[in-house]
Amino acid sequence: MAQKEFSVVGKRITRIDAYERVTGQAQYAGDIQLAGMLYARLLRSPHPHARVVSIDTSRAEKLPGVKAVIHHQNAQVPWASGGHTHRRYIFNNPVRFVGDAVAAVAASDRHIAEEALGLIEVKYEKLPHVLDPNEALKPGAPKISTDGNLSVGKGNFSAPIAEQWGDLEKGFKEADRIFEDTYISKHVNNAQLEPRASVAKWEGGKLTVWASTQGVSNARTDIAKDLGLPLSKVRVICKYMGGGFGNKNQAQDYDLMAAVLAKVTGQPVKVEFTREDDFIGMHGRWASEQHYKIGVKKDGTITAVELDAVTNVGAYRKQSGNLNGTDFYQIPNFKKVVKPVHTNTVVGANYRAPAYPQSVFGFASFLDQIAHEMGINPLEMFLKNRVRLYANKTPFTSNFLEECVVEGAKKVGWKEKWHKAGASAGPKKHGIGMALGGYPFRPGLGAAAIRVNPDGTAHVLVGVTDIGTGAKTTMAIIAAEALGIPLNQIQLTNGDTDVTPYSVGESGSRTTPFTGPAVIAAAEDVRKQIFSVAAPQLKSKPEDLDLRDGKVFVKSNPSQSLPLGRAVARSGELIGRATTNPTFKGLAGKSFAAHFAEVEVDSWTGHVKITRYVAAHDSGTIINRLAAESQIKGGVVQGIGMALTEELLIDKFTAVPLNPSYRDAKVPTHLEVPEIEVVFIEHPDPYGPFGGKVVGEPPITPAVATVANAIFNATGKRIKELPITPDKILRAAQV
Amino acid sequence: MDEEVKGKGVSRRDFLKGLGGGAIGTAVVSTGLLDPGKAEAYPTEATGTGRGKSVINLKVNGRGYRLEVEHRTTLAELLRDQLGFTGTKIGCNRGECGACTVIVAGRNIYSCSQLAVWMDGKEILTIEGLVQGEKLDPVQEAFIEHDGPQCGFCTSGQIMSGKALLLRQPNPTEAQVRRALSGNLCRCGNYNREVAAVLAAAGKAR
Repeated sequence: MAQKEFSVVGKRITRIDAYERVTGQAQYAGDIQLAGMLYARLLRSPHPHARVVSIDTSRAEKLPGVKAVIHHQNAQVPWASGGHTHRRYIFNNPVRFVGDAVAAVAASDRHIAEEALGLIEVKYEKLPHVLDPNEALKPGAPKISTDGNLSVGKGNFSAPIAEQWGDLEKGFKEADRIFEDTYISKHVNNAQLEPRASVAKWEGGKLTVWASTQGVSNARTDIAKDLGLPLSKVRVICKYMGGGFGNKNQAQDYDLMAAVLAKVTGQPVKVEFTREDDFIGMHGRWASEQHYKIGVKKDGTITAVELDAVTNVGAYRKQSGNLNGTDFYQIPNFKKVVKPVHTNTVVGANYRAPAYPQSVFGFASFLDQIAHEMGINPLEMFLKNRVRLYANKTPFTSNFLEECVVEGAKKVGWKEKWHKAGASAGPKKHGIGMALGGYPFRPGLGAAAIRVNPDGTAHVLVGVTDIGTGAKTTMAIIAAEALGIPLNQIQLTNGDTDVTPYSVGESGSRTTPFTGPAVIAAAEDVRKQIFSVAAPQLKSKPEDLDLRDGKVFVKSNPSQSLPLGRAVARSGELIGRATTNPTFKGLAGKSFAAHFAEVEVDSWTGHVKITRYVAAHDSGTIINRLAAESQIKGGVVQGIGMALTEELLIDKFTAVPLNPSYRDAKVPTHLEVPEIEVVFIEHPDPYGPFGGKVVGEPPITPAVATVANAIFNATGKRIKELPITPDKILRAAQV
Repeated sequence: MDEEVKGKGVSRRDFLKGLGGGAIGTAVVSTGLLDPGKAEAYPTEATGTGRGKSVINLKVNGRGYRLEVEHRTTLAELLRDQLGFTGTKIGCNRGECGACTVIVAGRNIYSCSQLAVWMDGKEILTIEGLVQGEKLDPVQEAFIEHDGPQCGFCTSGQIMSGKALLLRQPNPTEAQVRRALSGNLCRCGNYNREVAAVLAAAGKAR
């Protein structure tokens, strides 16, 4: 497919809201101040599993300034978005992990609310607890869910998650060698910079919530459902959002707490989480134990893969707990059984590409190991086994994974730099590694409206939030391109359910493929209206007109033209709108990536320095090069943290999280991150808006395995458990 | 303690009225309960909870304020809740993430880790104070050009640390920039961009 000539799409465009973001004018949920607003804080369980026998709030309520205390007895509100298995409430009894919410206090100021927490007297009856998912599956283990510790789920979340195709037995028979091993990943917190905050206000039976959410539309639906309100009585606003990476999807418990506290006090309420609240109370990425059996031919071709895994979804099930890292390989015979298991730990759920980086770590590390043991260059191994058909049967809408591998390898200089694992002389050992990744690109429901003003400017209305991806800018670019007017003539309003049309919510890399087509269709709708009012003025027919660079003109004679403003001046304003729901007609969609890293491992200290990083991506047409590059870089940085340092440590005896802070969780800083070189393999996808696929989630998926494989290449020792910390490297070196 | 005194409603409205007059002036914000002459900037009485109050004088973004603050109020809280400078963010409230970075006496500091009463007589520069009329500071301009903000929550802090560096070292090396910004976490992982922006602001193409 030939690259279409675009006027805005594909350029390096600075964000349309960059001014607000660099001047401090951007208002986040926590910045909202309302007259008479109260502040709320949460009390959390110190026990991993306990029945709340009694809660005495009398002392807390006597503290001057305290307005309300809510808990499971007086505020039993379901938190539906949190439960795909069993009913979860905003306050649960029994409490099921250290950090499970027990009560919330609203007071005239946050210090008073905090003080009041210490005055609440809770009597607990401790129950036996279990932290390890394998232990939790044993008969006689403490029961966390009434349905059992294997989280049974429903629909897409039915467990165990099983997938199978081909003939596994035949596949292993065809193999020249069979390998078996286990890889382990740990719980990692999303650790977004913005702590959770939510402001709720009631006006005549209507609730407005200023939320820190990734999706205003689904947050509204959830809040209405959980509080038993008609949808029309709930308004959710989120104009700016300080990151979430999956843990601010939909409505959260604190939105509901704010709403309840505002209701009982009759005053607006702002719930604020502390950083510790965020680390211990909110979900991170599910930990996993992945056991693989892989059959390969002499030349490295995979004949069969069997994956048997447990994942730790914590005390409540919020997401699938699946592992999808095998998606990027052509596997003729396959069987996967993943058991999502409940334990008395913080919830394991969505964090950027939820089922991927930990799973890619396991599979791509093992494949790299197999290549090593068979004397095959990993580049050849990955190239040979790259996916052609989804689940060995469905063609992709587009697939340029091969080009990602080839171009990425060229850029990093694989041919010249690769050496046998452990061959680098010390004490600082050089290593180079790679892995494949990507993320599903799916179509779905989107909506948009575009007002064309009498001055020729346009105002785009979309429900998208912008969690840092640059989605507002992406939508404005798509609108400008589709309308045929300059980008600086576009205004955009987003993230307000009373004003903006439905949007899916910024999760699952869905904003561009879902809402993008709606923006294009809304632009087409309003263009028709423009041509019909302009036709008489240009003494032409609507179908003979075009609009480009803000000018309406006759196609056969472009000099016969009108500025858009003049053309629509007497029409008041024209409004185009669209609701779209495209399909891929049975095809599978995926963005692809191949990553390459070079490292230097200090054999004395075990310290790993990433010296070079190349990320090659097939995301179709790149709508905004500047923001897309930033997304790729950011995903890689999060992957580096997960590979090298991050893990929520939980004390084995008390079940108390030991490092719920930035300093101790060791998220990457400016000092650990190399320049990340981004290569876009750009071929328009026939189904994406202007040929674009997805960008947000793909970059984190191969990053962890890429770093792990580079470390192996440096040291010759395979670390099979994340994170790959200096102590593990040194211990492996001594074996 | 009287409920009305603790509420911020009154003093905040007074403050907003005060803002109306002139760019540089002195907005006197006080509930009048304390005699400013006897106020101690460094309270010695043990209140236990930090509920005691003192009057302080300070300058924020070139404008003078006389305010009554609770002893337990941090500078970040004072800026955000009492003065409305919400561009200063609180990410961790424990001196780890740098989202609350402001400049005091030319140095970048974590405003979450300073008590407001310690700021008596100090001059504070926040992200809002970098804009001169309509004109952005070169660091802000560079952050736009280089796509410095993703979610934007750490951006104010990154910019203030970059600004503080350029105040003391107008021609930094890349290593110096990284070190200067290393106390400012960015979970979006936009480190490459933020460093490039500060270098560009220093007049260096990367």
